[in-house]
Amino acid sequence: MSVTSYVKAASLDEAAALLASSPRAALVGGGAYLRLGARQLDLAIDLFEAGLDYVRATDAGPALGAMATYRRLETDPLLRDYADGLVARSVADIGGVQLRNVVTVGGTVYRRYAFSNLITALLALDAVVVLHRGGPVPIGDFLAGSHDPQDILAEVRLPAAGGRAAWRELTNTRNDFAVLNVAAVRRADGFRLAVGARPGVARLAEGAMAWLDANADAQDAADHAAGLAAEELEFGDGLRGSAAYRRRLCRTLVRRALAEVLS
Amino acid sequence: MKIEFELNGAPRVCEADPGEMLLEVLRRNGAPSVKRGCDTGVCGTCTVLLDGKPVPACAVPAPRVAGHAVTTVEGLAEEALRLGATLTAEGADQCGFCSPGLVVAVVAMSRELEDPTDEEINHYLSGNLCRCTGYVGQLRAIRRYLEEAR
Repeated sequence: MSVTSYVKAASLDEAAALLASSPRAALVGGGAYLRLGARQLDLAIDLFEAGLDYVRATDAGPALGAMATYRRLETDPLLRDYADGLVARSVADIGGVQLRNVVTVGGTVYRRYAFSNLITALLALDAVVVLHRGGPVPIGDFLAGSHDPQDILAEVRLPAAGGRAAWRELTNTRNDFAVLNVAAVRRADGFRLAVGARPGVARLAEGAMAWLDANADAQDAADHAAGLAAEELEFGDGLRGSAAYRRRLCRTLVRRALAEVLS
Repeated sequence: MKIEFELNGAPRVCEADPGEMLLEVLRRNGAPSVKRGCDTGVCGTCTVLLDGKPVPACAVPAPRVAGHAVTTVEGLAEEALRLGATLTAEGADQCGFCSPGLVVAVVAMSRELEDPTDEEINHYLSGNLCRCTGYVGQLRAIRRYLEEAR
């Protein structure tokens, strides 16, 4: 990464104005991958001092600032108590404490990283991505669609009711990216089941979710729904596993996650 | 560009390229203890404290630290001597390349966690890799260091 100038914005408005000032300006989230990029930037805009490093309770549910770090998500009491600690569990083994003190919510979600654990958890929780100009967007739409590259991710909002939740992932070594990750959520209004690192970005297993909504009390519900999820989702070959292996793994991890939220 | 920050308790002004990471700037400016290991933020050898929190210096943009406090193992000499002694006593100090980052992380942990369990120690330090001694001796040494520090 080649950077000509580096500025720390004091607010979202200032960051937006700076971003609009040059076609070769870009935001710095956590910054961990800054050096690994191949782009040439006239201006790198750091949000480190823009007041976005928060996790806070609102009437509508928990709000995660774009610059909240994974370590903050892991340790914040609000998230430990929300949805069986799903958000905290999803990030607790990403790198070490050091890296989790750098990696941010905004840096991960904005880039829609396919390997992300956090995105899988947020999709299962039906989170809303709040853009500075574009306003609130359901995370499923954000992941599926294109967004204005001049817009800035301000925060991620979670619904007030977290519900029962379970997290499962398989990694080849601790702290590595997942071969596959799974988040299951059960609320009064139904089930949500997200599978990520397929190796594509997280997707909902909507067929399995609909079946569960109608058959949660069925015998072997977890096993049957896990089979549906493994059949309906697409899997691919990658560095950490083949498509066939991921499909088998999906069935196992989903069954275990569902058994937890059904218990 | 010039970066003004606090390094080990003293004000410093360092020259840095706007695209540089903190690791390079520290190594050029009197903190050779900050080792370059993986250079991707996962091995822990370049761990420093940024405003008291452990971070991998290779994954922090250098200009970010302007106006903030950075602490390397040079700024933790007393703790380093004591932990160094227990690492030696427990046979966990072999080549020493990872030791500065480990010392910084252990000091951060001792300030953040009160009386951590072995599981909490292992989790907190899972981002500090050692390729010589393994971790059993390190865990013994760290427990001994924490007990002596009480």
